[in-house]
Amino acid sequence: MSSRIPDTHAEAWALLPWLANGRIPASDREWVEAHVAACAECRAEVAAQRMMSTAMNRDGASPESAGTDEQRSFNRLWARIEASESASPASVATGTVQQSSRSSRTVRWLAAAVIVQGFGLALFAFNTLRTSPQSGEIVTVASVSPQTRLNAPAVRIVFAPGASITTINTLLAHQGLSIVSGPGTAGNFTAELSADAVASGASADSVAAVISKDPNVSFAQPVAR
Amino acid sequence: MALKSIESLAPRALGPSPDASERELLERIAKSRDQAAFRTLYGNYYQRLSRLLARMSVRREDIEEVVNDTFWVVWTKAGEFRGASQLSTWIIGIAYRRALNALRRAKIRPVSDEPFDEDSISVASTDDAETDGQWLALGLSRLPVEQRMALELTYTLGHSCEEVAAILDCPVNTVKTRLFRARETLKQVLPSLAGMTGENS
Repeated sequence: MSSRIPDTHAEAWALLPWLANGRIPASDREWVEAHVAACAECRAEVAAQRMMSTAMNRDGASPESAGTDEQRSFNRLWARIEASESASPASVATGTVQQSSRSSRTVRWLAAAVIVQGFGLALFAFNTLRTSPQSGEIVTVASVSPQTRLNAPAVRIVFAPGASITTINTLLAHQGLSIVSGPGTAGNFTAELSADAVASGASADSVAAVISKDPNVSFAQPVAR
Repeated sequence: MALKSIESLAPRALGPSPDASERELLERIAKSRDQAAFRTLYGNYYQRLSRLLARMSVRREDIEEVVNDTFWVVWTKAGEFRGASQLSTWIIGIAYRRALNALRRAKIRPVSDEPFDEDSISVASTDDAETDGQWLALGLSRLPVEQRMALELTYTLGHSCEEVAAILDCPVNTVKTRLFRARETLKQVLPSLAGMTGENS
């Protein structure tokens, strides 16, 4: 039994939205329901709110592409998080031993993932070259030498889901980029600029700006070094 | 008996998620930087936040930015959530404030507030749902953003009055007033709603 029984039309009226959506507080439910049972105007109002609720739910229904959009959005966010954490690990860790241990675990896990996925890519590249002899000139992602140059400008890239190996290789070659690590957990690669590209005036910023507009690239960001 | 139908009104498809399971996800994010938990939590809110932001007149191309800004905060502040409120209240509140700030700073552009052409609503349409949707769009476009949010959070996302107040950062009575005014405005626009008022059932 409620300790407070206002039983006034105005107070009940104000609470009808939550009677309609099932979230009215237990302390109010009893007296509001009693009022509504005896009040034709409130019953009609609840019915009207049901119609509005149904219309609002129908009106805001998600498009069929929502799932794809969600994954693409998450990939971008995750690439942003990884970029931030690799650029300034100190800003992420708060100095506790526990967090530092977490970072170590993450790094070890990522390193293992890179190795495993490297094998996978190498196998894929081998099969691609073996079954497509006419593509002999293609340099696959996995066949690029992962030798890094100290402080070489680099770009973190997430390729669009539908981008082919050929397209990616062409894109990388045009920009003087070589993949040196990846894919990360969000499908991101790190690519370094060649010495020739740097000599010709290219920078991580300029290249990231250019390729981020390419439809085959979901995300591109210069790596702080 | 009328009360039976009243109790079964709530369409809760997008309603608040079970708080306990989501808190477990947040704990995994805070303690072990668990990407899978983060992805699951992101998926639980992506659709809800997207439609909420659309109701705030945030443009489709800007919605992802606000959603990701919100989850950037979730990722970086997961360890600071003390459970004083529902997790859903915390997350949706972040999104609401970020969208509001961004709209105010005009960093992101609101959907243009073009006058709604009432003549464009086809009264000859045989699809009642389509016609209702058109009238609803007209009605919602005439409401201030705070009233639109109170409606969306209550009717679509199924939040309690107290949760709506926490998300919108205002007193409970303000939420009631906003909903009351919103309902009155909508009744002037939506013929089907106006027809229901005062009707005996």
